[in-house]
Amino acid sequence: MEKLAHGEVVNLLIQLAVMLIAARIFAEIAQKFKQPAVVGEILAGILLGPTILGGVFPELFDSLFKSNAMTNIALDGYIQISVVLLLFIAGLEVELNLVLSQGKRALNISFFGLVIPFAFGFTAPFFFAEFFGFAEGNKLLFSLFMGTAMAISALPVIVRTLMDLNLFKSRMGMMIVSAAMVDDIIGWMIFSIILSFMGKEATTMGLGYTILLTVGFAIFMVTVGKSLINKVLPWVNKRLAWPGGLISLSLSACFLAAAFTEYIGIHAIFGAFILGVAIGDSDHMPERAKEIIHQFVNNIFAPVFFVSIGLKVNFFTNFDPLLVLVVIIVAYAGKVIGCGFGSLRGGLGKWESMAIGFGMNARGAMEIILGLIALENGLINEKLFVALVVMALVTSMTSGPLMKWALKKGEATEKNLT
Amino acid sequence: MYSKVALAIAFSPRMEALIAEARRLIGIFQGELVLIHVGVKTPELESTLNEILKRHCSDLKRIKTIWKEGKPAKTILKTCEEEQVNLLVLGALKKEGLLTYYLGSIARKVIRKSPCSVLTLIDPKIETTRFSKVVINGTQLEVTPRVIEKGLKFCQVEGAGQIHILNEIKLYGLQMATAGEGSEDEVSTTRRKLVQEEIKYVQEILDGLDQTGLRINIKVTAGKWAVELVRYCESIEADLLIMGDENGYSFIDRIFPHDLEDILSELPCNLLIVK
Repeated sequence: MEKLAHGEVVNLLIQLAVMLIAARIFAEIAQKFKQPAVVGEILAGILLGPTILGGVFPELFDSLFKSNAMTNIALDGYIQISVVLLLFIAGLEVELNLVLSQGKRALNISFFGLVIPFAFGFTAPFFFAEFFGFAEGNKLLFSLFMGTAMAISALPVIVRTLMDLNLFKSRMGMMIVSAAMVDDIIGWMIFSIILSFMGKEATTMGLGYTILLTVGFAIFMVTVGKSLINKVLPWVNKRLAWPGGLISLSLSACFLAAAFTEYIGIHAIFGAFILGVAIGDSDHMPERAKEIIHQFVNNIFAPVFFVSIGLKVNFFTNFDPLLVLVVIIVAYAGKVIGCGFGSLRGGLGKWESMAIGFGMNARGAMEIILGLIALENGLINEKLFVALVVMALVTSMTSGPLMKWALKKGEATEKNLT
Repeated sequence: MYSKVALAIAFSPRMEALIAEARRLIGIFQGELVLIHVGVKTPELESTLNEILKRHCSDLKRIKTIWKEGKPAKTILKTCEEEQVNLLVLGALKKEGLLTYYLGSIARKVIRKSPCSVLTLIDPKIETTRFSKVVINGTQLEVTPRVIEKGLKFCQVEGAGQIHILNEIKLYGLQMATAGEGSEDEVSTTRRKLVQEEIKYVQEILDGLDQTGLRINIKVTAGKWAVELVRYCESIEADLLIMGDENGYSFIDRIFPHDLEDILSELPCNLLIVK
């Protein structure tokens, strides 16, 4: 087995330390301004990457991040694991029980909150593909990706916003959370199907087979898989060290599921995500264990992943203001109109519906993961990736204030009426 | 409170015990009892029933027996409506060889559609005893204030010794993980706040209610409320769980059973569903 040389080990450890320190500093600054940690972590990456450090101190940047090819391969492995784990915790957050108990109103919001942004995201790049940076390949896949990118949401950012506004437990809060959960499940399914077609001819038969495989795997995991997990977890909780046994076995199961989906031709992230859903929804997965897994991934793996985004792309040379603006407009229009319409149909008021639209608009980390995988698979170019990252940050940063504004407007209108 | 109690009977080995329990209930509620049998009325069945009734009831005028033929669930529900019953008593089924109980498909159908409250007894006894350890579902649902109000009234009439109201923090893991971005103090404040908010929710409902003679304990857990209720009832060996039924049951609920269905599939103790 090949090993890293002495210098490469030192380089890798320094890389990890610098990335974690920078991520922590900027995450703390972001939180001081009431922004999600991911905003700070991305900024830390931009600072350490070719955009700033590479431009101002190119020798330092090269010696830190470009001097050892083997080190970079090892770091890439760490980042790959981070993506799988991030999707695993995204799955853990989904609670199917909550979704089912919210009933038709939440389904209305999630349906229109998915279909309308998807339609907006699909249509614009389909007709103006060159503007969005499409050069060669399958235009349909490219447009489908953009549709998915517009439809996905970031549950942790949404939860944080709702908690800050003291709305988490309200009827509206629960509706937003469960609608976002549904959208995420369907969004990741569509994205996995798109990824499995990368580099292949998209035939009707192939498409049907991939959809069947993806949906079949998801259904199998949340039914048979979940009941198996329900049988094993009580034994794990009782007989093995707690929470060590539970955490290590959950993560092993996550890696196995990821390996399995990657093997059968669906991307690894989908296996991790669906296994997270099955474990998170199990009756025997303690909330305390979920919290520990979240902290473990959010503070050890996630920061390195988000900083690595800035290392991969030059945000200055790839920043196309018009493209960024259009992506942001499409994102806002899709979610606010879609979720707002769904809420109105569900019998909610105008301002309340708008608040739900703004709440669901946060894309956060999920958009960035989605964008990066698309970039690595050659589906999008760097300019569009930068636009998607900026859109993810802007929507996450504005979600809370805009929601607050809409709710205040609603209250004022109600007062005027009475 | 429950002036007209109905009991669905099926001439099973546990029928006498169920009648004894229903008799006890009309005693404490000063009410009447309607016995509903769905099936053919034969002289043998009638005389068996009369013998049992004579053994348990001194005042047979307070008891009415209705014999009807038809689909069991539909007939029971229709009779309850016609007789203006406000509490229907059902017997649960026992899993073979195990000490666990569940509800059969007819009983589930009745519970889902019943216009009145339904009490399911898992282990009725001829020598009846009162419910002493009662758990009430205090999770934040639209029906909860009414469930707590009715539950407390039931416990007062019943003379229940200890009442536990269980409320749970929704998505605790996710909320704490999100709050984990703050400092140590902020995290502990959030943790405390989450617990206090749930206690406050129940306390505010309790403040407006008569609690004379009741010892009430508010307990906060984290997780799915139905699962937590079952676990809590098992851990304290509760003998009655009181909860509401909020939703109508759709096709999706049948494919993906949740909440109330989780409890009906493995009853931890007797169950009163307040309507």
